[in-house]
Amino acid sequence: MKNKNVDDLEFSTILGHASDEHSIDKNYVVQSSTFRLTFSFINLYALILIVLFFIVKGNLVEGINNNFLDTGFLSVLNTRGILLFILLISLNIAAYFNSGFKYVCLIMLVYMLNSAIDNAVLFSGFMHLTDRPYFSAFSVTRPLFIIALFWVFIIHKDKKKSIKKV
Amino acid sequence: MFENPQVSKLFWFSMSIAYSFCFSALYTYSTIPEYLLELDNTIQVNLTMKLATVRLAIIALALVAYPIILFRFFKYAKYFTVALTAWAVAIYIDDYFVLSEIIKYPESQLISLIQSLRPIMIASLLWMSVELVFRPMAVD
Repeated sequence: MKNKNVDDLEFSTILGHASDEHSIDKNYVVQSSTFRLTFSFINLYALILIVLFFIVKGNLVEGINNNFLDTGFLSVLNTRGILLFILLISLNIAAYFNSGFKYVCLIMLVYMLNSAIDNAVLFSGFMHLTDRPYFSAFSVTRPLFIIALFWVFIIHKDKKKSIKKV
Repeated sequence: MFENPQVSKLFWFSMSIAYSFCFSALYTYSTIPEYLLELDNTIQVNLTMKLATVRLAIIALALVAYPIILFRFFKYAKYFTVALTAWAVAIYIDDYFVLSEIIKYPESQLISLIQSLRPIMIASLLWMSVELVFRPMAVD
């Protein structure tokens, strides 16, 4: 005859142990909705920017100034696109594992600021807003991206919180 | 008012290397003889000097701000050091891999020497960052 009490005890022990390991008492960080929204914006903006880098590099967007890419801007776009992509991947990995996010975010922030300064100093004389309107729109709105990165850096929660036991 | 940053002697040594390098760079670029610039009066050299001026202004600000942050706001020193290290690495990568076709430094032995010493400065900054990030937390 089946011993119902023993079976129940076994099941509850197994389930209790499993729930202890996998759900109850699990420590993780719940980021705010502002963080998630801003982080999504950063990802979207960076991805569109990278795609645009390569579209402009491939000369797939019609522009008014055909000598736009003859000023050495081509190699710059290429390397910047690759570096930004690597940094974006690192940022997402750091966010997923919640390890070193602030540092990767800071590195990306510094990189974006530096490239903005470089572009302003080196290429301001060669390019105009009307050369590639789509590209210029992203150059003009870059401060938004930098502010978003800075904001995410500030509001990110590093420390783990215990979730209330159910 | 001022905190005593409990860091190793190697940190102070690295910091002195970084400061020496920055002061040497400031001195070198601010005392470039005019005939050198006139001799190499190309668009590339002019752009490089423009960029170098902006960078030196940022370096001068960082040189003033760093001791204040280190002694007064030690909690944020690691973020500031990591940011400076990231910037030093970024401009090194920029100069040698991204902007190599666009910028050209004037022909001067002192400038060449300063450029060749850049990896040492980056290594010092890296050590400072690593020490500040991974240093054991003080227990009350």
